Amino acid sequence: MPFISKIERQTDYNRFPSSTPIVIDNGASYFRIGWAGETEPRVIFRNIIQRPRHKSTGETVTVVGDHDTALLRYFDCTRSGPRSAFDGNVVFQFEIMEYILDFAFDRLGANGARIDHPILITECVCNPVQSRGKMAELLFETYGVPSVAFGVDAAFSYKYNQLRGICDKDGLAICPGFTTTHVIPFVDGEPVYKGSSRTNIGGYHVTDNLKQLLSLKYPHHMARFTWEKIEDLKMEHCYIAPDYALEARLFQIGSKEAEDKTRQGQRLREMAEAKRSSRVNELENQLHGLEFLLQQLGQVQEEETPSFLSKTGYVSKQEIESTLTKVSQSLRKAKGEAKVEQADNEEKADSSDKYPLINVPDNMLTSEQLKEKKRQIFLKTTTEGRQRAKQKRVEEELERERKTREDEEQRLENPELYLEQMRTKYKELCEKVEQRKRLKTNGGHANGNSSSGGVGRGERLNAAQRERMRLLTTAAFDRGKGEDNFGAKDEDWQLYKLMSKDNDDDDDGPDEIEAELARVCSRLQEIDPAFVPKPESTPSQPTTAEIPRVRPVTKEDFQVVLGVERFRCPEILFHPILVGIDQAGVDEMVGVSIRRLSTKNEALEDRLTSSIFMTGGCSLFPGINERLEAGIRMLRPCGSPIKVERASDPVLDAWRGASVYAANLQFQQQAFSRADFYEKGEDWLRQYQLRYTL
Amino acid sequence: MEAEVIKAELVLPTHMSFKRVQTYEKYPKGQSKVRWKQLKQIIQAENYQNYDPDEPNYVNIESPPSMQPCKRICDITGFEAPYQDPRTNLRYANADVFKLVRSLPNEYVQRYLALRKAAVVLR
Repeated sequence: MPFISKIERQTDYNRFPSSTPIVIDNGASYFRIGWAGETEPRVIFRNIIQRPRHKSTGETVTVVGDHDTALLRYFDCTRSGPRSAFDGNVVFQFEIMEYILDFAFDRLGANGARIDHPILITECVCNPVQSRGKMAELLFETYGVPSVAFGVDAAFSYKYNQLRGICDKDGLAICPGFTTTHVIPFVDGEPVYKGSSRTNIGGYHVTDNLKQLLSLKYPHHMARFTWEKIEDLKMEHCYIAPDYALEARLFQIGSKEAEDKTRQGQRLREMAEAKRSSRVNELENQLHGLEFLLQQLGQVQEEETPSFLSKTGYVSKQEIESTLTKVSQSLRKAKGEAKVEQADNEEKADSSDKYPLINVPDNMLTSEQLKEKKRQIFLKTTTEGRQRAKQKRVEEELERERKTREDEEQRLENPELYLEQMRTKYKELCEKVEQRKRLKTNGGHANGNSSSGGVGRGERLNAAQRERMRLLTTAAFDRGKGEDNFGAKDEDWQLYKLMSKDNDDDDDGPDEIEAELARVCSRLQEIDPAFVPKPESTPSQPTTAEIPRVRPVTKEDFQVVLGVERFRCPEILFHPILVGIDQAGVDEMVGVSIRRLSTKNEALEDRLTSSIFMTGGCSLFPGINERLEAGIRMLRPCGSPIKVERASDPVLDAWRGASVYAANLQFQQQAFSRADFYEKGEDWLRQYQLRYTL
Repeated sequence: MEAEVIKAELVLPTHMSFKRVQTYEKYPKGQSKVRWKQLKQIIQAENYQNYDPDEPNYVNIESPPSMQPCKRICDITGFEAPYQDPRTNLRYANADVFKLVRSLPNEYVQRYLALRKAAVVLR
């Protein structure tokens, strides 16, 4: 994950006096907490919990945030998926919120009887007063916090970047978040909620869309597409196309640019490449070192050889040479050269070294040496046999490859003709198989009344068995009536050899045909999108709907191709109708927002559009700036100034802005205390708004 | 508890020193019996119609439906899709995709439709 959680327990909690506020960015995706005045939040984790059951003790425990999945094997996680305290962008599950706050304060290093610091916590725009009230209650009652302030994260981000000069005091803040997207106009540095608008689409929907599309495209990989992996993929590969229709057309006509844009398991391949090249380098270095040693050894005098050798660590010259050959062999292997030379070398070396006794004639050896010789002969023959078998296999492979290559060429030359040929072949094979089956099962019926050796269960015998019976009965009858002297001569027993041979033939035949059928079937499945394998209608298997695939597993089975999905999924931010949410997209929301302000002040509107500011996790998609600008230009009168800027760090800027705000001396006046909360009641809480310019 | 689980501090401890009311006191039977109100119910309970419609509130600021012409893209490939299959209601881009559409089993059809929230939901 490009974004990593930080959950180490902080140790300097006691360093901060009671007046230092704690700043919390309570987002639907991540929870960030830290001290006011700092630039980085201390603790960051995903805003989810899980409540699995421990396998051995049986108690239900709480796990907050995303943790190492390897450790979760001690827990039974079947009944407990990850749960969030949010519904949309509003907190509604305060029990979960309590667990999360527990964890957060604990990791911040909290000790003591209560949290004795004022708290600044973020909420959504126009948070319902119920949610706000329950949150305040939770903080005051359970944690003993002295005072609380609520703020909107987009506004904090805007103020922070305003200090940096990225946006002006009049502007628009666009915040595509995790579950919702907001557009908030700022006038004189204060957000005007009257003109804000919200669409219920966000990063979560983009990831979910990508996950569903990939699962449907690769149903056999469905179990491996976890939400976190897809989010990784999304962050790495997705982008926003400047014009969706044009990009789609690029892919549709299959142009080269489209191929450049598809990502095809590239990461895996690159990693494998890197590993291989590093190993090759290593081996080469080793090889050079050894060769150098040998050279030196050759130059050194005879007497000094032992001392020289002891320095290098090798016992004798042969050892160096053998390591050298080994290293060069493995280098060759790593570079991908044929292993056949290796085998030859080995064989030659073996036959000369390992079997010295074979060539010595028998009468010169003692009994022990004779035994040794027999063993060596045995070993030699077995290794030779193995090598012969290997050779045959290699030849078969080559033959098969040649055939498939010819096949491919044929296919590429004339795909239609090839397809037709394949189809006719398939039909023929199907018919043959069916015929054979029919013979096996119904042949008995047809000849049931004939004299098949007086066998009562004529229907069940197949052709082979009937043949066997026929042979036996003819043998018995041919010998003439009278005594039964069937086995007197040895040649009589040759009859059984005939029979078993017949039997084998019969069983081999259909196997071959069936193998051929399976091959043709799989080939057709690969190349013909409209091909559906005819199910074998045997009465003994009424339940199986698919014949088992005997297709060899190719590398394509482990690749996931991301072509159109790369820009199709983020497109839903601009057209939520693509996922069924009938609301305005981001560019249209800007128009809606300006309309809602209804200032009728042209100058103000121009000022707003000339300082459009983007924050939030989803604004990290490449290409979103240009797309947004093009979209807004469609809505505004010709020639009006439009400038779109992204926050310096869209993910953490909200927390930073809140931290800067809380460090201000005037912050205390904006927060409300416990006494305020209980005296003034709900109405006052509804009206409570933070003033962002201090 | 296994040693590595304790070392990684995976599990949330039940007693926190800084809390005035502990979780096990608040929810004696493990999970709370209180059914938390979902967002829809919260909004209903707020009774926003009793307040001034000019004041921004959670429901007010929601965006209206899109004014732009509906973008029709193929459900399976993602290209532009001017056609729709009357039997399954899936959108498709050309004849090849149509063959695929007609060969899909019903489960996949429903899942593709569910991407667009157009699936038949039997409740």
